[in-house]
Amino acid sequence: MAATLIQLVINGLLLGGIYALISIGLTLIFGVVEIINFAHGEFLMLSMYASFWLFQLCGVDPYVSLFMVIPSFFLIGWAVQRIIIQPIIHAPPLNQIFATVGMSLVLQNGALFLWKADYRTVRTAYSTFSLKTGGLMISFPRLVAFILALAIIAVLLIFLKRTYTGKAIRALAQEKRAAMLMGIDIYRMYKIAFGIGIACVGAAGAILIPIYYAFPTVGALFVLIAFVVVILGGYNSLVGALVGGLIIGLVEAFSGFFLSPHLKEAVYFVIFILILLLKPTGLFGRG
Amino acid sequence: MKSSRNPFHPRFYFPLALVVFLFVLPILPRNPFYEDLILMIFFWGTLAAAWNLVGGFAGQISLGHTAFFGIGAYTSTLLWLKFGLSPWLGMIAGAGLAILVAIGIGVPCFRLRSHFFALATIAFAEVLRYVASYWRGLTQGGVGLLIPFKPGMENFMFRGKIPYAYIALGLMLLIILVSYITRNSRFGFYLISLREDQDAAETLGVNTSRCKLIALIVSVFFTAVAGTFYAQYLLFIDPDTVFSLPLSIELALLAIIGGLGTVIGPVIGAFILIPLDVLLRGYLGAISAGLNFIVYGIVLVVAVIYFPRGVAGWLKTWYEPFLRRLPGAKQALVTEVTVPSPALTTETSDPQDPDPEDEEAKSPLFQVHSLTKYFGGLAAVKDVSFEIKKGEILGLIGPNGAGKTTIFNLITGFLSTDSGKIEFRGEEITGLKPPHKVCLNHIGRTFQLVKPFNNMTVLENVMVGAFSRVRRASEARKEATKVLDFIGLLRQRDSLASSLTIADRKRLELGKALATKPELLLLDEVVAGLNPRETEEIISIIRAISRQGITLFIIEHVMKAIMTLSHRIVVLHHGEKIAEGTPAEISRDKRVVDAYLGEEYLA
Repeated sequence: MAATLIQLVINGLLLGGIYALISIGLTLIFGVVEIINFAHGEFLMLSMYASFWLFQLCGVDPYVSLFMVIPSFFLIGWAVQRIIIQPIIHAPPLNQIFATVGMSLVLQNGALFLWKADYRTVRTAYSTFSLKTGGLMISFPRLVAFILALAIIAVLLIFLKRTYTGKAIRALAQEKRAAMLMGIDIYRMYKIAFGIGIACVGAAGAILIPIYYAFPTVGALFVLIAFVVVILGGYNSLVGALVGGLIIGLVEAFSGFFLSPHLKEAVYFVIFILILLLKPTGLFGRG
Repeated sequence: MKSSRNPFHPRFYFPLALVVFLFVLPILPRNPFYEDLILMIFFWGTLAAAWNLVGGFAGQISLGHTAFFGIGAYTSTLLWLKFGLSPWLGMIAGAGLAILVAIGIGVPCFRLRSHFFALATIAFAEVLRYVASYWRGLTQGGVGLLIPFKPGMENFMFRGKIPYAYIALGLMLLIILVSYITRNSRFGFYLISLREDQDAAETLGVNTSRCKLIALIVSVFFTAVAGTFYAQYLLFIDPDTVFSLPLSIELALLAIIGGLGTVIGPVIGAFILIPLDVLLRGYLGAISAGLNFIVYGIVLVVAVIYFPRGVAGWLKTWYEPFLRRLPGAKQALVTEVTVPSPALTTETSDPQDPDPEDEEAKSPLFQVHSLTKYFGGLAAVKDVSFEIKKGEILGLIGPNGAGKTTIFNLITGFLSTDSGKIEFRGEEITGLKPPHKVCLNHIGRTFQLVKPFNNMTVLENVMVGAFSRVRRASEARKEATKVLDFIGLLRQRDSLASSLTIADRKRLELGKALATKPELLLLDEVVAGLNPRETEEIISIIRAISRQGITLFIIEHVMKAIMTLSHRIVVLHHGEKIAEGTPAEISRDKRVVDAYLGEEYLA
C-alpha cells in the first residue's frame, strides 16, 4: 500500500507540473491584461498539433520542437493581443469574454476541419520507456515533461524578477496607472505578457504530445483543469498557479485511483465550488 | 387616471401587425423544410431572449445555460420513459429541478466577478455533461435516449411540425412579454443598474443578489422548458448535444447580434442567424462538419469588437421615424393625456422645515460610539465617536488616508465594524448590511469617484433611486423629474449618463441619492475637481438640500466649501478624532493646523 501511495504521489506530481505550466500562462494573462483567455486550451491543442506535424513530416523530436514552438507561439500571442484584445481592452467584460470564446470556437472547429477528429500522438523510442526502482515505476517522458515544465516556469519567474521588462510586467499587474506614470509602455507589456502566456501553453503542448493525444477538443479538457488550478492558486499569483497545478495533479491521481477516473471532472468541480465558497481569493491570491 | 390606447396609432397597430404576421408565418408555404426553419427561429429566439434576461439585462454572463436546457430535456424524457408521466408535467418538473439547481449554483457564483462567473458556469455545465455521459444506468450515457413516437396532445407529440411551431411561437411571445414588462418596470431598472455598477445600485436600495437570482430563475425556467420542447420535437437527446458548450455560446451570439439587453434584440438575432445557420449547415456542413462554427466564431469576434450594440441598436434609430410616416401617426396615442407637472421651484414646500436651533434640545439623529476598524494590523478608524443632530451639516476632514471614507463605508454597510456602535433615529444600526438595507433605512450616500449608470439616461439614473420609495415606473419618473429639476439637470434628462461633464456627473450623483429620500445624506467629496463657479453651484444645491430638512454629513478637501457649509466639523488623523467644533474653532486648533490645514491656512 505504501508503494502504491508513493506511486500515486509521483504520478500526481508529474502530471501537476504540466498543469502548472498551462495554468501559469493563463494566470499571467489574467494578472496583466485582466481578461480570462477562454481560448487558452485551443492554443494548447494547436501546439500539440504543431509538434505532432513537425515530428510526422520533418522528423523533429517533440523536445526539440520546443525551440520552434516557444518563439512562434510567443508571436501568435503577441498578434492575438494586438489584433483582437487591444481594440476591446476598455470594453465591458462581455465583449472580452466573447472575443476569446469566439476565437476558441474558430480554432477548435478549424482543427476539426483541417485534421478531422482523429486522435494523433507521437510514438518515439522513449515513449514507453520507464525507470523502475524499488517497486516504483516512473514513466520517462512524464519525468522529462515534469522537469521541462518546472524549468520553463523557473526561467519565467527569474525573467519576471530580474529583467526590466519582467519588473514592468509585474508593476503593471499591481497598479496599472502608476505603471503608466513610471513611463511603462503598457500596451507593449500587454502584448509581451499575452505572448509569454501563449508561449507557456505552447511549450506545454510540445511536452504533452509524447504522452497524450492531439485532437480538436483536447484543449477544452485541459483548460477546465487550468481554470480550477487558477482559482485554487489565487487568480493573480504565479506561484499559486504552480502549487495549484501540483495539487490538482495529486487530486487527479488519488481520485482516479480511489474513486473512478471518469469522475475526475466532478471532483474538480467540487473543489472549484468549495474554493469559491470558502476562500474566493484562492491559496495565494491578493484580495 | 384611466387612459385607453388609440388602436389606430401606429405605435399600437404596428407591433400588433407584427404579432399577427408571426402567427401567419408558419403556414405561409406548406413545406417541411420551411416549417422547420420557422420553428427553429421561434425556438432559438425563445432561448436567446431567456439568456438575455441574465446576460443582457443583468449583465451576468452565463456560458452554462446549456446545463438548464439539458436538465429540462432529460427530466421530462426520463419521467416519460420510466414512469409514463406526460411530458407536459415533465416539463414543469424539469423547470422546477433546473430552478433548484440554478439557485444552488447562482448563490455562490453571483459573488464572482464577471469573467469568473462565466468560467464557473462553463465548468458547471461541463460537469453535468460528464454526469449525463457516465451515469449510464439512468441516461444510457453517450448513446442517448430515444423517445418512441406516440402522437397525441397529452404526450406532447404531434404529427407534422405546425403544432410544434405554434408552441414555440407561444413560448417566444411569452418571453418577449416578460422582457417587455421587465424593461419597463422597477425590476428591469434594477437589473440594468446593477449591471452598470453594482455598488452604486446597492447604495440606491437595490437588493442586487435577489434581483440577479430572480432574473436567473425566470431565465432558467424558459431555458428548461425549451429543453423539453427540443426533446419532444426531435424525440432524441444525448449529452453531447443538449449539454454542449457551443449551444450556450450560440444563445449569447444571437442576443449579441440582435442587441444585448433589449426586448426584441435576441429574437431579431434569431431571425437573422438561424436562416443563415441552416444555409451554412447545408452548404458548409456538406464540405466538413464544424465549418459553420468557424463562421460563427468569426461573426462573434467581429461583432463584439466592431458592433457591440447589435442590430436592435441600429433599428431603433429608424423605428421612430418609420412609425411617424405610417397613417394615423398624427393622432394621440393615449386618448386621455396626463401630463406630469413637476414641481418647478427649487424651494419645494416642506411641511417640517426644521430650524437647526430648535432641534438643539432634541436627541441626536445619528450617533457613533467608539467606532473601530482594522485593516490587518493597521487601525483605519480607531475609537471615533461623534453625533449629528437633525438638520445639521457635519463636516469630516483630515489628511488623505485618515479614515474618512472608511467611516462612510462602515456606516453604509460596505465594511463591517470591528467594534463600536452606530445609532440612527435611536436604533442601533451597527453592522446593517448589505448596503441596500442602509439605503432603505433612509441613509443615502454619494461616492468620491462618481458612479453613474453609464448606459442609462440621466432620468433613468435618478429613477433607480426613486424606485426605492415607489413601485410604479410612472411615479418614479415623476419623482425623478422633480429631483432633476431641483439639481438643475432637467435639460439633460434624456442624455446618456456617460455623455455628462464631470460637474454634471457630480450633480447626478447627488440626484440619485436624493431620489431615495434620505433623512441623512453622506456626501463624499462632491466638489473635488470642480472649478470655482461649479463649486459655488454645488454648494448652493447642498444648502437647498439642507433647507429641505435633510441632515448632511460631508467629507471634503475644499476648505472653502466645508468651512462655509458645515455647522460643525470633525477632524480625523490616522484614524483618530483629533478635534471637533465649529469651523472657527477648528481653524484655530493647533493640532488641526499641524496635521492637516498647514500654517498657510492661518495666514
